[in-house]
Amino acid sequence: MSPARILGAAALVALAIGPWLLARHQLSLLTDLLIFGLFAMSLDLILGYTGMLSFGHAAYFGLGAYASALVLLEFAQPVPVALLAGMLLAGVVAVPIGWLSTRSTGVYFAMLTLAFAQFLYTVAYKWRSLTGGSDGIAGVPKTSLFWGGPSLASPQAFYFLAAACVVLSLLLCRALVRSPFGRALQAIRENERRFTSLGRDPRPFKLVVFVIAAVFAGLAGALFAPFRGFASPEVMFWVFSGQALMMVTMGGIGTLVGPIVGAMVFILIQEILSSYTEHWMIFTGVVFVLIVIFLPGGLVGTARRLGMRG
Amino acid sequence: MANLIEQLLNALVLAGLLFLVSAGLSLVFGILRVVNFAHGVFYMLGAYLGFTAVALTGWFWPALVIVPPVVGVLGALLESSTLRFIYRRPQIYQLLLTFGLALILEESIRILYGPTAKGVEPPALLQGAISLGGLLYPRYRLFLVVLSLVVGAAVWLFLRTTRAGLVIRAVAQNSEMADCLGADVARVRTLVFGAACALAGLGGVAAAPMTTAYLGMGIGVIVEAFVVVVIGGLGSIGGSMVGSLIVGAAQTWGAFYLPESAMVIMYAVMGAILIFRPWGLFGEEE
Repeated sequence: MSPARILGAAALVALAIGPWLLARHQLSLLTDLLIFGLFAMSLDLILGYTGMLSFGHAAYFGLGAYASALVLLEFAQPVPVALLAGMLLAGVVAVPIGWLSTRSTGVYFAMLTLAFAQFLYTVAYKWRSLTGGSDGIAGVPKTSLFWGGPSLASPQAFYFLAAACVVLSLLLCRALVRSPFGRALQAIRENERRFTSLGRDPRPFKLVVFVIAAVFAGLAGALFAPFRGFASPEVMFWVFSGQALMMVTMGGIGTLVGPIVGAMVFILIQEILSSYTEHWMIFTGVVFVLIVIFLPGGLVGTARRLGMRG
Repeated sequence: MANLIEQLLNALVLAGLLFLVSAGLSLVFGILRVVNFAHGVFYMLGAYLGFTAVALTGWFWPALVIVPPVVGVLGALLESSTLRFIYRRPQIYQLLLTFGLALILEESIRILYGPTAKGVEPPALLQGAISLGGLLYPRYRLFLVVLSLVVGAAVWLFLRTTRAGLVIRAVAQNSEMADCLGADVARVRTLVFGAACALAGLGGVAAAPMTTAYLGMGIGVIVEAFVVVVIGGLGSIGGSMVGSLIVGAAQTWGAFYLPESAMVIMYAVMGAILIFRPWGLFGEEE
């Protein structure tokens, strides 16, 4: 067995037995990590595998969170229905934005995604009757697994749901990037002009992966709302998009697992430092800048390279 | 009529400030091929340093003169200590790096100045309002229009008529060729980056008496400046000017007719232009 497989199996075992070993606070931290890891991983689909830098990915996380919060609070449906609603809303909104943004490439794409995300943030902020404005929507319940099914109110139950979603998403994304479609994405990343000259139009590919990434981000947001019990405009703010970029970069762009590792590093720094100072972001910023300059592959990318060499 | 003139002047004020920021953004992109995400933070830094300078000296004019070079030197130092090392990498990394720098700078300002907004008094000469044929208009806002026009003209003349401007345009057009012909490309990059930061700092210190210095003004202005350069096209000063006017007008009349959703107008305009010109009005396809 390769070291990567052993690590993967160990991670699965740790995820499975975690709830019995961890204290309540630690378990909630682990759930956080999984949700943010899923969010960062969805960003890696477009950033790492297609080479499109989105500065506005939080918008789709936020759309998922709002859709899920409304479904749970107003209609009292089971959590999976809320998850589907979150994925659906994020995906549907991503279609026109992706259609417009993928007309451009490179820095134009980055600026456009940021502008559209700030627009959606403003909508969430101002549309008081639906979103509760700056207060957001509070008191989102963790309902049940299905109609008349077991309750998800306990931290352990919800943790297992989140872990299942994340593992499933990771497997799906891995299958996606290894499929012919995923190969096409990587061809676009490596040389878009050559891709075009081989007779393929890159834009449909980019639009589809943009929407898929938004759907997974929506899933992460839809998990977030019942887990934290609220949805607020902050989860759509540019800072959050930037944090996802930091997680992906620190863990390793184009590795899928890397963003989850990056989320872990990010959350650990925050957890350890925030008890000393409220300005922990500055430290994260410094670590991030150092990794961008010295470790372009991120932690996982660098480890893999060293592993291959050794 | 008076109303229309007032709206027009408001649009010009906004456009002038946006131009000071977006012109630097565009210039840096032309030379370094980097979109500087930290550019808005330099604008914010200008406003905060302006507050400090006014608090120390009790005067506004020295602040207006001192702050831009200070911001510019800081920008040049950051470029030569970080960005310089990763020009060869894919564009994504440079954007990520400037994003990290923006984060660090913004947190530093939060630590130094605290979360409350800092007000700056306009100079005595520019306080109060002036009567323009029945319309009372704040003197300071008129000054902002004049200032941005003067600076815009100066930048344009500098690029068009001086030797340094010629070298900058040569590097923007083809940096390898300019390098072969003896231009010190690394130095041009650092100086242009610093000058662009100084322009943003000037915008910030000039805006402070009108908007106060507050956290979040950096991201606010960078998003609008992004919209400006997307509309006008990156790397084109003229494009920045036209883009600033369009965004200034869209924001002003948007705020007048749709007070709750002024930004919608701005994005609608941007979307419409992008459908026909994905590279902006004056930009070139890469």
